[in-house]
Amino acid sequence: MKTLSAKIKKNPYYVMWFKDAWPYITGAVLLSVFQIATLASTGNPWGVSAVFANWGAWLYELVGGSVDKWYYFASEGAQATLERGFLQDPGTMRNLGIIAGALFATLAASGFKFKKIKSWRQVLAAVLGGLLMGYGARIGFGCNIGALFSGIASFSLSGWVYAVFLFLGAVVGSKLLVKFFM
Amino acid sequence: MSDSNEATSVPKTSRSRSRKPKKDQIPFAILTIVVIVVIGIILGRVNATLGLFWVFGNCFGFILQKTRFCFTASMRDPFLTGGTNVTKSVLAAFAITSIGFLAIKYGAFAKGLPIPGQSFVVPVSLATAIGAFMFGIGMVIAGGCASGTLMRVGEGFGMQILSLAFFVVGSLWGAHDMGWWQLNVILKGKAVFLPDLFGWMGALLVQMAIIVLLWIAADKWGKRKGADTTH
Amino acid sequence: MKEVELDCMGEACPVPLIKAEKEMAKLDIGDVLIVQIDHSCAMKNVPEWARKEGHNVEIEEVDDGEWEVIIEKVK
Repeated sequence: MKTLSAKIKKNPYYVMWFKDAWPYITGAVLLSVFQIATLASTGNPWGVSAVFANWGAWLYELVGGSVDKWYYFASEGAQATLERGFLQDPGTMRNLGIIAGALFATLAASGFKFKKIKSWRQVLAAVLGGLLMGYGARIGFGCNIGALFSGIASFSLSGWVYAVFLFLGAVVGSKLLVKFFM
Repeated sequence: MSDSNEATSVPKTSRSRSRKPKKDQIPFAILTIVVIVVIGIILGRVNATLGLFWVFGNCFGFILQKTRFCFTASMRDPFLTGGTNVTKSVLAAFAITSIGFLAIKYGAFAKGLPIPGQSFVVPVSLATAIGAFMFGIGMVIAGGCASGTLMRVGEGFGMQILSLAFFVVGSLWGAHDMGWWQLNVILKGKAVFLPDLFGWMGALLVQMAIIVLLWIAADKWGKRKGADTTH
Repeated sequence: MKEVELDCMGEACPVPLIKAEKEMAKLDIGDVLIVQIDHSCAMKNVPEWARKEGHNVEIEEVDDGEWEVIIEKVK
């Protein structure tokens, strides 16, 4: 196994495709290709954050709660998704796939390292940041992928409006980051 | 690289520290890809859609990790560090994807079919602005947006695992409040599909023009030296 | 010509870059800044920034998922 690894590591294609980082423009092209493929094959553009609301609902149901009377989950589609459950939810599989794909990429480049949380500042930033993203994505109808990327590519005015305010939020976030979370 | 005759060579004094031997991660990588493929096959057997989404997810995750494509950085860096390389790449992605999406949508329209993928053509209201603003703040302080957080969980960042957990909590909270927002804010807004305003070709031209102008602005901004505001 | 080590292990985006910029501003021409990182974002954006500023940059992988970005201040 060791010599196989050694051989792999010396292979120029391994180095080019798995070891080295890729340029940003390659990312732009490839993500676009897969976005378009997603729309063509699934009928909807790529989205990430709506799935998290479902995860929240399933967890809530696990501890005895019910979301069936909520407006957000009232539609037939939403109810059907909740009925199918976590293991049969395509959106869930796509999000878990992102984690798996990134894990594979990191391991293949021999770059995996578990990075522990370093300070209480990071804890606060993660908690606050996560809550803001979660709530903001619901009322904004999506996150950087759904509302922004897919929204703009879908020629919706909402995508551009989202972009403007996302940028403003990022400016404020940067100021907060430097002031409190560094 | 051991020659020290170059005027620009960097001294290597500190690198003689003893390092622990690197673990070989290739076997783990091979194991991981095998597991990924097996999961894909199993999911595909249950339901072809599940398998498809799993595959797409893995592709997105792999691409994001290799390219370090970061929407957070695209919005944050112009202000924080003066860098706009990621911003320009995000704009390029918008342009390319727009062309593909328009083609698919127009193709359906031209055949008299319902336009696919309109799920993100949503009402523009104060909720859009507030939601995006909140998300913008959140993604910068959390160190990653939605896709970025998932990617970093895969890379082993403890902080993003925590961020993801609270992203889920925040999402449920937002879903809970959606009824209120819909009634009081979102209903006051309207969804605007640009081809309805400008026609198909017109919408493409307008959108491309905006993207190109933004790209040029980002390019010029990025070329300024000393543009960052951190000190 | 001094060598300064900047430990940015465990820092979140974009903290390594911000710290590197602040530290570089304090150095003289010819000094070397060694930024120790374990964040793959920083592995890309720190060298990119340093090269844009005109400095000499070298990246060394010191362990799985750990890098040293060695920047020599040129101007």
